[in-house]
Amino acid sequence: MNHNASAYRLIAFPLAVLMVFTLVPTVLGMGLSVFEWGGGADAPRYVGLAHFRAMAGDETMRHALVNTLGYVALSVPPTILLAFLLAVAVDADWFVGKAVVRATIFMPTIVSIVAIGFVWRWVLDDQAGLLNWGLRAVGVADPPNWLIDGRWPMAWIILVAVWRGVGFCLVLYLAALSSINRNLYEAAAIDGASRSQILRFITWPSVRPMTVFLVITSVIAALQVFDLVYIMTPGRENQYTTVLNLYLYRQFAEFANFGYAAAIGIVIFAITLVFTAVQLGWVRWRGGAA
Amino acid sequence: MSALNTRPPAAMRLAIHAVVYAAAATMLLPFLWMVATSLKTASAANQPPTLGTLIPTDPQWGNYAEAVRAAGLMQFYKMSIGVAVVTTLLAVAHNALAGYAFAKLRFAGKRILFGVTLATMMLPAQVFFIFAYVICSKLGYVDDFRGLVVPFLASGFGVFYMRQAITAVPNALIEAARLDGMTDGAIFWVIIRPIVWPAIAALGIFTFMNSWNSFFWPLIIIDSNENKTLPLAIAELAAGKYVQSWPVVMAAATILVVPLIVVFFLAQGAFIRGVALSGMKE
Repeated sequence: MNHNASAYRLIAFPLAVLMVFTLVPTVLGMGLSVFEWGGGADAPRYVGLAHFRAMAGDETMRHALVNTLGYVALSVPPTILLAFLLAVAVDADWFVGKAVVRATIFMPTIVSIVAIGFVWRWVLDDQAGLLNWGLRAVGVADPPNWLIDGRWPMAWIILVAVWRGVGFCLVLYLAALSSINRNLYEAAAIDGASRSQILRFITWPSVRPMTVFLVITSVIAALQVFDLVYIMTPGRENQYTTVLNLYLYRQFAEFANFGYAAAIGIVIFAITLVFTAVQLGWVRWRGGAA
Repeated sequence: MSALNTRPPAAMRLAIHAVVYAAAATMLLPFLWMVATSLKTASAANQPPTLGTLIPTDPQWGNYAEAVRAAGLMQFYKMSIGVAVVTTLLAVAHNALAGYAFAKLRFAGKRILFGVTLATMMLPAQVFFIFAYVICSKLGYVDDFRGLVVPFLASGFGVFYMRQAITAVPNALIEAARLDGMTDGAIFWVIIRPIVWPAIAALGIFTFMNSWNSFFWPLIIIDSNENKTLPLAIAELAAGKYVQSWPVVMAAATILVVPLIVVFFLAQGAFIRGVALSGMKE
């Protein structure tokens, strides 16, 4: 039986969309990184690897890179560890209110990051914010202006990222925990293992595939951070808060340096690939050794 | 079932409950603070709060009317709902039909075309958004509803996900339907759709949330006020564009955020499944 015609009808439109808005733009974007172009009618000018060389001496680019890596390193591990511990507690037979807690902690995941950042800006407001009000109430005379002073804004961006990210990881950890074989715990308890030993030597290794999944996907997402920084830096990002995607956006939207923006995009992509490859390699190596 | 099932002593159980509930409370606190502020007078909101004014005694419901009027909120709502609903319906339909073709139909070039579809999942948005914008501008999609919808009507992830779900449907059912003379469209609608409905619902919620919360792309492609979606409106509210009075700004933010939170708590099981799906994508 030949179903050719019908199959092509079904896939034609989806493939056309992917082609026009993803595939072709990727190829052109890669190529654009060796051109200088403002997006206008004038023809792109070939500049070779000039954009990549320029990056080496670009101070904002260096800040963006350092801040992005710092954001990844300081937001991903706490999110995952906290989610694991919360999941273990919520999953226990004796825990009361499992469904309510799960839904409540998950709730910020469904609110747009822009709205999250906006609400936190108000909590952290220097004069009328909830936090500084509380600090003044307990006698801190001159609390920092959290969203302006030095490294505080990035610290809060990371904290809010952890706060928002924990619910998603919690839900996935709960799913992983529910599939652990109950007999393992009983056997360990009969052998006289303590609760912390069970947690460390049975529960944690049992959910390792989920942890690997969460680490890899969270690192990829964190390398692309944009919305939260954009919204939580009143006025504008500075050298302590700018990140790669934000710098790329400025080059594209404000300076119309399409070629340089494309080159930054390639650098972000390359970093993502390297991180993912290293993590997968590490997982394979550990898996073989363990 | 967990390590903590060997029942810890009562004091420890109590402490664990306290810590977990405190963590859950921090999820609600900022939103409650937002609602509380939205009901204050402008002067009360600008003063450092005191215990007495933490919960407004004389709620200013007028702030909500003012927010709707001054910030033109209904326009943003209409735009966001329109974009998210149209995108979700059309994208899920297209992805599911393509998934059906890749799962159950035979045609020349299938392996290559499916490989191409999968490959698009890994392509970097940071690189392709530039020419996606350029192409949209050639098509007249810039600052237009279509620019927010058309590029999202198919996704490598959606096709892949639906193909995996539909692969599990027994071939015998499809062959029997075909012998009865059903077309592929009819087979999809009558046989496949009911069986893979949970996958369709999960992809639908996932697609809706992605569209509803999307920020980067609308920021690039939308210029004029009447085409802005909610996240763009919130960003501009935060920058003090529409109104300067904090309580009115907070009333606007409440109107923009709280309905979704309410819907979430009513249908949280479906939401959690749908959004947990996004983990597979990133």
